[in-house]
Amino acid sequence: MRRYLLIRIYSENHTAISGEQFNDALLSSVRKYFGEIGVNTIVPKLLRFDPHRLEAIVACQSREKDLQAAVALIREIAGSSTAALTVRISGTIKSLMT
Amino acid sequence: MHKTVDLHIIPRVEDEKSCIKIAQMLKSAGYRAVALTLPTGLLKEHVRSIRNRFTDSGIEVFVRIDISCANRQELLRLLRRFRNVYDVVAVKCVNHTLGLVAARDRRVDIIFFDPLKRDVRFDHSIANVSRAALELNLSTLFSESTLLTKPMKEIDIATQHTVRIVLSSGSTSPMMIRTPEQLSAIGMALGLNVRQAHDGVSAIPWSIVEHNVERRSKEYVEEGVRVVKKRVT
Repeated sequence: MRRYLLIRIYSENHTAISGEQFNDALLSSVRKYFGEIGVNTIVPKLLRFDPHRLEAIVACQSREKDLQAAVALIREIAGSSTAALTVRISGTIKSLMT
Repeated sequence: MHKTVDLHIIPRVEDEKSCIKIAQMLKSAGYRAVALTLPTGLLKEHVRSIRNRFTDSGIEVFVRIDISCANRQELLRLLRRFRNVYDVVAVKCVNHTLGLVAARDRRVDIIFFDPLKRDVRFDHSIANVSRAALELNLSTLFSESTLLTKPMKEIDIATQHTVRIVLSSGSTSPMMIRTPEQLSAIGMALGLNVRQAHDGVSAIPWSIVEHNVERRSKEYVEEGVRVVKKRVT
C-alpha cells in the first residue's frame, strides 16, 4: 500500500540542501541498508521538497517502516552533518499537509 | 504508546549551546524524558544547570552512569559507590567475564556492547543469566565499519531468552537524535517485532527509570516493602 512520509531535515550550521542532494542521500541509504531488492520493493520517491523549510514528502510503495529506518540512518547530506526526522506518515498527501 | 524515553544521551557538559540544541531536538522529536550520561566528578550546581536546560524544554531528566572497567572487583566497587547516586546504571561490557557479572547483578539496569569489538558479544551464556536490559545504540550503527549482523544476532538471542531490549540514540550531538518512531523502525529492521520495538523506546525504559526513582525514594525499604505511615509515639 502506498504511504507518504513527511520528513523534516535539520542541518548543522544551517547548510543549504537541495532536493536532489536529499534524494541522493535517501536512495543511497535505502540501497546501503536494504540492498537493490529493497530499493525495488520500497520504491522511495521524492514528491516535494521545500528548501526553505527543509521539509520533504517521500512516497513509498511498501515497507514504510524500512523507509523510516533508512531515513533515520541518513547522517550526512552534501558533506554536512544532518538529522532527518520523520514527522508524520499517512496514506494521503492531503492529510500530511494539515 | 507510553511516555517515550531516550535512555542514552551524552551531552557535552562544557558546551551549553549544544545542550540547549539537544534539548530542543529531543522536544521536537517527541520525547517526554531522557537519561543523561554525565561525568562522575561534576559539581552539583553544574548538574542542576544542565538538568534545567532540559526541563525548561519540557523534558523530564534522569541521570545515568556508564560504567566501563576491566575486571569484576572494579565493577562491584563502582556499583557499590554509584548505585544510590544515579537513576540509571549502565555497564559497557568490554570483556565476556564482565558481561556475565554485569548481567547477573541486579544493581545493573542496562548492559551494552561495543559493536567494534568482535570478540565481545551478547551470547547465550550472558542472556541466560541476564537481569539487566540489553541496550542497542543508534550511534553505533552510524559508524562505517559496523556490521548489522552483530546487533541482529544480539536481538535474536535476547528474544530467545526474553531479555528486555532498550533502543537508545546514544547521541553526543543534536544531529544524532532521531524520533522514537524512527528508533523503533530501526529495531524492526534489525529483527524486533512491532510490540518489542515500541516497548524498547517507551514501556521498558520508562519502567526502568520509574523503578529506580521509587527505589531511591525515602519510603522505599526493600523490594516489595515500603513505608506507608510512620508510627507516632
